[in-house]
Amino acid sequence: MLAVLAGGLVGTGLRLGLDSVLPHEGFAVSTLVANTVGALALGMLVARLWDRVPSWLRAGLGAGLLGSFTTFSALAVALVSLGAAGDWMPALAYLVATMALGLGAAWLGLRIGRPRATAPLDLVDE
Amino acid sequence: MTPAVIVTVLLAGALGALARYGVSRALATRPRFPWAVLLVNVVGSAIGGIVLGLAEAGAVSPEWRLILLTGFCGGLTTFSTFSVETVQLVLDGRGRAAIVSVGANLVLGIAAAAIGYLIAR
Repeated sequence: MLAVLAGGLVGTGLRLGLDSVLPHEGFAVSTLVANTVGALALGMLVARLWDRVPSWLRAGLGAGLLGSFTTFSALAVALVSLGAAGDWMPALAYLVATMALGLGAAWLGLRIGRPRATAPLDLVDE
Repeated sequence: MTPAVIVTVLLAGALGALARYGVSRALATRPRFPWAVLLVNVVGSAIGGIVLGLAEAGAVSPEWRLILLTGFCGGLTTFSTFSVETVQLVLDGRGRAAIVSVGANLVLGIAAAAIGYLIAR
């Protein structure tokens, strides 16, 4: 629980920092960047570290740090905000960009984080 | 943004993360579908929509908007776990569950935020 709290503090702080340097109103670039980077990082951690670290570290890094660095509510609020302003095309573009980049980043993270196969195929015949 | 506001935003984010962790532990006995992420994302989006509406109506100050929206809702909801669990479902050959999960998060989450916003505005 302490690990989740500490990770949550740091993750929220990083997202707050990103919000202050990248556009956060309208087409919220800061949220898009946080969600893409967070999905990539979690994918890599899950594939590379998850089966060899203690559960408190998984909770601190996954549920705490990256869970609170990324956000779904800011995505929903950005879409509602764009829709309320009548900006339907930017809203649709934002949704498509978030899903494509987020899911793509998670897939890439899981793939590049995966440890290499143990023995190269050409050594099997020795 | 005063230091006190920043500290409160961070604490609210940590509190949201803790609540999400509690939900995921409580629902961990139902591993067939990512229920925990769906629940926190829909609830967090509803609160986010309400706060946005109240802020536009002038009933919530910019500081409290930051504390509740960026802090608590941001910490409560998550996109990283949502993405990774979706891809894992696909890699496990459970593409239909992945599509249902993505669709439910988007439709219910965005609808919850929109309804909250319209009621609160």
